[in-house]
Amino acid sequence: MGRLRRLSPDEVPPGLRDTFRTFLAERGNIPNMFRTMAHRPEIVSTLLAHFRAVMGPGTVPVALKELLAVRVSSLNSCDY
Amino acid sequence: MAKQFGVSDQALQGLNNIDTFPFPPDEKAALRFADAMTREAGRVDDGLFDELRRHFSEPQIIEIASVIGTFNYFNRVNNALAMDITLTDPEVLALRIAEALATAPPDPAAACDRVVELLRQGRRYGSVGVLARKGDRLVRLAHRGAEPPAAKDATSATLDPDAVTRMGDRELTVPVHFGAELVGVIEIHNDRPGSIDEEDRILVERVAGLLAPLLGARRPPG
Repeated sequence: MGRLRRLSPDEVPPGLRDTFRTFLAERGNIPNMFRTMAHRPEIVSTLLAHFRAVMGPGTVPVALKELLAVRVSSLNSCDY
Repeated sequence: MAKQFGVSDQALQGLNNIDTFPFPPDEKAALRFADAMTREAGRVDDGLFDELRRHFSEPQIIEIASVIGTFNYFNRVNNALAMDITLTDPEVLALRIAEALATAPPDPAAACDRVVELLRQGRRYGSVGVLARKGDRLVRLAHRGAEPPAAKDATSATLDPDAVTRMGDRELTVPVHFGAELVGVIEIHNDRPGSIDEEDRILVERVAGLLAPLLGARRPPG
């Protein structure tokens, strides 16, 4: 079990609620990390924007960015 | 996740030995940069940085450093907070399974195989199996994942007509009834204790309802 409680879409401010519902519709889940970070909506909102800016646009191939993400997570022994 | 974005299984395996795996030179430089940023708290020697520059522009180096930095942030927060792996919402997963069955091949074994894989991926179960009734026996129709210890030597199990759902903290067995008749069983196993709960029971019982017509129709008459 995670150490902090995960918030459901009903417990977060409206803007973030829409984002969560989009996640649910597109991926079939809301990542637990974002649900937990939602205790501070301003942090999770900017974190999501940052994540999209980092992984989305740019000229480095997405496959290489994903490979780097897997490598870093493996070095940090993070299964999440 | 990475595979959806075009990362091959071979490349993922290659991560175990970056120096010997034939990654293209630009990918190898980026991966070495990731190792140095992650292991040495960001201390990257000039030789490695020069190598990175040979393959990437300055904006691209910012992109790469940001990916590595962001995942270090995520990993540390997730490890410290003991974050659980995210599972697919049961409601969404049940709908996906219903859709998959609607477009599944007519062969029940192939259809069950799709259902089993969706369940396993969506809920990260260690193993999922579907047993179907054949005469007075249950035979394995589809199975994915690690072999459950109890079923190592048996592909069939004796039929229990009064079967009801049995739930432990790492296993779940749900009977499939077609009308009043038992026509199959769904078996779930997990390695992690406490990883199966009420949410899983409701989901798998729903899936049993979806599989019932398929397994019921499969039985020879009489």
